[in-house]
Amino acid sequence: MSRPPPTPVYTLRGAGGPLNTLHFHCSQGSTPLLFSGSGKGAIHMYNLNTRRPERVIEGHSGNSVIWLNTIQSEQKLISQGRDMQICLWDLAEGRYDVVDSIWTGSVGFCQSSMLETSAGKWMLAFPGEQTEEIKIIELPSKTLVSTLVPDSKLGMVMCIKLWQSDLGTGPLLLAGYEDGSVLLWDVTQRSKLSQAKAHPEPVMCLTFDPTHLKGISGSSDSKLSSWIVDSQNNMQLQDSVTLVNPGVSQMCLRDDGKLLASAGWDHRVRLFGWKRLKPLAVLQYHTDMVLSVAFSNHQDPRQRLLAAGSKDHRISLWSVYSEGSQAQ
Amino acid sequence: MESLTQSPDVRLSVGQCFRTLSTSSTEDDVTGALKTLNSLLDTQGDSPSSSVHQEEFRRSHYTRTLEFLISHIQADWLHNLTATQRTQLWDRLFLHGPPEQALLVLMEGIGQLSPSSNLDHLLSITETFLQSGRLTDLLWSYCLGTGPADSPQFREALLGRIVALPDHMANKLQLNNRTLFLPQNYYPLLAQGMLTALEKTCQALKGGSDCSLIFLAQILGKVCVQGHSGSVMAVLAPQLSKHTHTDMVWQRVCWKLIENVPQRWTDSVLPQLVQAVTRPDALGRIIGNVVVSNKKAQFVITHKMLLLQYKYETQVLRVILGYLAADRERRPLLLQVLRSLCQAWANPSAVKHTPLKQQMYISKALLLSIGLLNDSELKELRSELLQCLLGGMQSHLDSNVVQIRHIGMVVGECLSSYMDINGTKLKFEYDADEDTQELLSLMTPTTEDDQDPEHLTRNDSPDVSEEKTSSTASQNECSPPKANTNPDSDLDSDDELTPYDMSCDQKLSQSFPPRYLRDCIEILTSSDDAVRVELSMNVAENLVRKNPFAAKEISVQMTKVLLHIENKFNIDNFLALRQATMAALIVTDCIPVTQYLTTEFYSLNYSLRQRLDILEVLALAAQELSKPISNKTESCVSVASTSDVTVYPGDNPEHWRQVVEKRIQSKTKRLTKGTTQPCKAGPNRYAPLAGHFFFPLLRNYDKPQVTFDLLGSDHLILARLIHTLGLLMHLALNAPIAAQMGCALLDFVWTVRYHSEQTVRRGVLFAVCAVFLSMPNQNLLLDLGDQLFETRSWLADVAEGDADSDCRSLAVQSLVLLDKGLKKQLQDPQALSLES
Repeated sequence: MSRPPPTPVYTLRGAGGPLNTLHFHCSQGSTPLLFSGSGKGAIHMYNLNTRRPERVIEGHSGNSVIWLNTIQSEQKLISQGRDMQICLWDLAEGRYDVVDSIWTGSVGFCQSSMLETSAGKWMLAFPGEQTEEIKIIELPSKTLVSTLVPDSKLGMVMCIKLWQSDLGTGPLLLAGYEDGSVLLWDVTQRSKLSQAKAHPEPVMCLTFDPTHLKGISGSSDSKLSSWIVDSQNNMQLQDSVTLVNPGVSQMCLRDDGKLLASAGWDHRVRLFGWKRLKPLAVLQYHTDMVLSVAFSNHQDPRQRLLAAGSKDHRISLWSVYSEGSQAQ
Repeated sequence: MESLTQSPDVRLSVGQCFRTLSTSSTEDDVTGALKTLNSLLDTQGDSPSSSVHQEEFRRSHYTRTLEFLISHIQADWLHNLTATQRTQLWDRLFLHGPPEQALLVLMEGIGQLSPSSNLDHLLSITETFLQSGRLTDLLWSYCLGTGPADSPQFREALLGRIVALPDHMANKLQLNNRTLFLPQNYYPLLAQGMLTALEKTCQALKGGSDCSLIFLAQILGKVCVQGHSGSVMAVLAPQLSKHTHTDMVWQRVCWKLIENVPQRWTDSVLPQLVQAVTRPDALGRIIGNVVVSNKKAQFVITHKMLLLQYKYETQVLRVILGYLAADRERRPLLLQVLRSLCQAWANPSAVKHTPLKQQMYISKALLLSIGLLNDSELKELRSELLQCLLGGMQSHLDSNVVQIRHIGMVVGECLSSYMDINGTKLKFEYDADEDTQELLSLMTPTTEDDQDPEHLTRNDSPDVSEEKTSSTASQNECSPPKANTNPDSDLDSDDELTPYDMSCDQKLSQSFPPRYLRDCIEILTSSDDAVRVELSMNVAENLVRKNPFAAKEISVQMTKVLLHIENKFNIDNFLALRQATMAALIVTDCIPVTQYLTTEFYSLNYSLRQRLDILEVLALAAQELSKPISNKTESCVSVASTSDVTVYPGDNPEHWRQVVEKRIQSKTKRLTKGTTQPCKAGPNRYAPLAGHFFFPLLRNYDKPQVTFDLLGSDHLILARLIHTLGLLMHLALNAPIAAQMGCALLDFVWTVRYHSEQTVRRGVLFAVCAVFLSMPNQNLLLDLGDQLFETRSWLADVAEGDADSDCRSLAVQSLVLLDKGLKKQLQDPQALSLES
C-alpha cells in the first residue's frame, strides 16, 4: 500500500504577492535563509530557523521580481526585476544596499542564469533588448562576453541555463524559445551547437544536470521532454512524461541528482525520480498556480527541504525523500 | 425357607454387636464387635450360607447399623481406637456397604450433628466416599437394576440427596464448606460418574445383559432442572459426541437416556445439550429422533428455542436447523419450522412489537433454514415463501427503525436470490454494518469444519506445527535474496524512492465558481453544466455568509431554489451542502426565511425528504443562532494569549520548571475543569427569534392534506417534527418566550402521547424533557398547574410499561427533571412570593 500523500512541513505567508522566484541560501555555520521574490517587487528574506521574514527589501520600484541568486562568498544578492534592471545587493553586516545594477532592456519573463567560471569570477546570462537576444557578461567586471541571436526565427527567448561540462570546455548555454525549441550555444564561440524541437508550445522552463548531461524542459502543454547532450554536443530528445494537467512554470533538480520537482499551473508540485522520470509524489497544498520551486542546499541531506511558491501568496516547505539520501 | 431360618442368626449377631458397643468399654470387645459387623458386610469364603447372610445384612440391617454408629459417635470407645483401627473398622463400614444407603445415612448424620470434630470425621468420610467413586457404583447399581426394589419415596429422596448435595452441604457448613462439595467441583464429578456408568452400560449391553437407564435419566433431568445443566453438559456433551462418533451402541444408549428423561424435565435438558454440542450431526447422534417421537422435545426444539426464546448464539441455530435437516424423518419438521419462521418474520404486528434482537434472531433462523432446503422443497414452499417475502418486506420497510429496515432488505435480497423469481433478484442499497454482514454471512454455508474438534486436536496438531516450521523455513530461505537486492538498487536511484499515493492527482476543472450570489442562483436554476452546478453548490454557503446584505435581498428566493433543487448530477455531499446553505440563509435573514419555510412545511406537494430537510435546516439554524457569536475572535484571543505566555528559550533559562509545568498542563486532560478563560457574555441571537421558528410549526398539524397526513401515515415526519420542536424548545433556554413555548409544546404533544410508533413516542418524551429543562421553574407550577400532574402520572405510566427501552429511560429522565424543578420551586418560598 502506498503512503498517503505528504503534507507541508510548514508554510510561509505574508509575501503579499505571487511568488515568482525562490532561492535558498544555506551555507554552513550561518542561519539558513530563503529568499523570495514577489510580484509586488518585494524580496523577502526568511529565516528558516524562526520561520519568519528577517528582512524585506524593496528594490525594483514595485515591479515584479523574477529571479534571485546569491554569491555566497561575498554575501551578495542578485535580483532581476521587470523594471529591466538586474541589481546587485550587498548584504554583509546587515546592510542591504544596491551596489551595482545592470540595465537589460528585456520586457519578457525570461529568468537570468549565473555560473561561477573561476574563483571570484562569474558569468551572467540575461535576456537582451531584442526579444530573441541573450547577453552574457562577466562579473564583477561587467564586460560583455557575447550576444547570442539565433539565425532562424524562433521567437522570444523564454528560459536560459548556463553550464560548464566537467571536460573543461568553455561554458555552454541552453536556451528555450517561444516556438518550443531548445538550443545549445557555445558562449565563447558565439555559435549554435545544436537544436532540438522539444515542444509544440513555448518552452516555459528547463533544467539541466551537467554530470549526466541530461536536461528536461517544460512547456505550456502537458508534456515534459527530456533530452541529452552527447559527446559531440548534439542534443537528442529522450522520453517524455505526460502530466495530468498542462502547464509547468518551473523545474528544479536536487543537488544529489535524484529528484526532480516541477511547479504546475494546476496548483500542484510534482516529484519525479531523475533517473527514469518515474512519478513519485504530487504535493497538493496551494490554491493557485505554483510559480516556483527550489531545493535547499543544506549541507546535511536530512535537513534538505523543498520550497514551492505560488500565486496564492504562500510558500510551502516540504521534507520529502530526505531521510534515506545520506547514502549518496 | 433357608433365608427364613437364617435371618434370626444375622439379627442376633447384629443385636449382640450393638449391645456390646453400647455397654462395653473394653477395647477388645469393641474391636471384636466392629470386626463382626465388617465380616457380615463382606463375603467370607464361598459358602452359600455366608453370602446369604451378607445379603440379609445388606438388605435389612446395614442402614440400622450405620445409624447406630453415628448415634454413638460420641462414645468413648470410638475415641480410644487408633487411627488405623478407626479407618479399617469404623470408616470401612461406610465405604463398602450398599452406597445408596451409606450416602443417605451420611447426609442424615451430617444434617443432625453440630459443628465438631465428629462432624469433620463424617465429612471426610463423605469426601472419601465421593472420591473413591462410590457415586459411580451407586449409579451403576441402579443401571444394572440390582439395587434394592425401592419405593418411589425412597427413590425421590435419593435423587434429591444426590442432586442437591452441594446445597445441603452449603446450608449446613456455611463458610466451612469443603471444596469438593462446591457445585463447580461436584457436578463435573457427578457427570463423570454418569459417563462411567454409561460406559459400563455399553459394555454390559455388548455382553448381552440388560440395563436400565431410568435412574440416570432422572438424575440428568433433575440436575438440569435445578440449574446446573451447564457444568454437567460441559463434561457430558463432548464425551458423548466423541463416543457416539464411532460406536453404534453408544448412540443407542444416548437415545435411550434422552428418551427416559421425564417429560417435565425435558425442557431444561435439551436446550443446554444443544448449546453444549458444537455440530448438528453430533446432536443427531446423541438425541436421535427424539423430536419425532417425543412431543415435548419437539416443542422445545422446534418452537421454544426458535420462536419464543432468542438468547442463543447463531451457532445454536445452526446446530438445531442442521440437526432437523440431517435426517429423512426429521425433514418434515424443518419445513414446518420454516413455515412458522416465515409467519413470524412476516407478521406486521411482530415487526412492530417484538424487540429488535428477537427479529434479528428469527431472521437468522429463517436464512439458515432456507439455506438447508433442496430444490424440490424450495419448489414446494415457493408460494409460501413469496407470500412471506412480500408481506414481510412491506412491514419491515415500513418500520421507523433503521436496523429493522436493514434486516428486511437483507432477508429480502437473500430470499429472492434463493427463489429465483424469473431470474430477477432484489437489490437494495444499505450501509454494511455488523448485523447485515452477519446475516449475509449466514448465506455461505460453513462446510470446511467437517471434522469434530476432538479429532482435529488429536490428529492435526502435529501437521500444523510441521507446516509452521516448514513455512518459517521457507521464509528464511526467501529472505536472503531480498537482502541481496538492496545493494543492486543503488545502481538505479529511482527504485529506492517509493512513490506516495498519487490518486488525488486529477484533472482540474476549467470553469470557475461563481463569485456573486445572483450568479449562483442563476446557475442553480438554469444551468445544465454539472461542473458549474457543483461549484455553485460548493461556494453557495460561503457567498451567503460573506455578503449578508446581498443575501438578505434574495434570501427567500434562494431558499426556494435550494428547497426544490434536485441532485441531478450526483454531487458529493449534496444534502449537507444544501442544508448548510439554507441554514446560513436563515441565520443571515431569519424572519422572512423561517416564515417561508414554516408555511411550506404544511403545504401541498412536497416530498418527505423536503419536509425533513425543512425541519433539519430550522434546527441547524437555531443551533447556530443560539451559540455565542464569532468563534473567530475567540480563537484569535486564545492564540494571542498563548503567544504571550510563550517563553523564548533565551529569555530566562532558569525557569525550566515553568516549561515542565506547561508541558504537563498541555498533556493533561482535565475533565472537571472547564475552560480556564471566563466566557464573555454576549446577546443570545436566538432568544428574540425563537417564536418565529417555533409557533408556525405548531399550526395546521391536524389538517390533513391530500399528500400529507401528519397524524396518519406520515408518522416519520411527525416524529421528526416533535423532535425538532423539542430541540427548538431546548435551545430557547433562558429566553423570555420559553414559558409560552413550553405550554404550547406540552399541549401539542398531549394528543400524540400514546402514538403507536415508538419513534413518535420517543420524540414526544424528548420534547417533554426539553420543556422541563428549559422552562423557568417558577412557571412550571403557575402556568401548567393541573396539566403537570396529569403529565406526571402519564410519565410514570410510560416509565413502567412502555415496550421500548429508550422510551422508558427517557420517561424516567423527564420525571427526574420534573421532580427536581418542582422541588427547587417548592423549597424556595422567596420565588413564590416574588411571583405573587
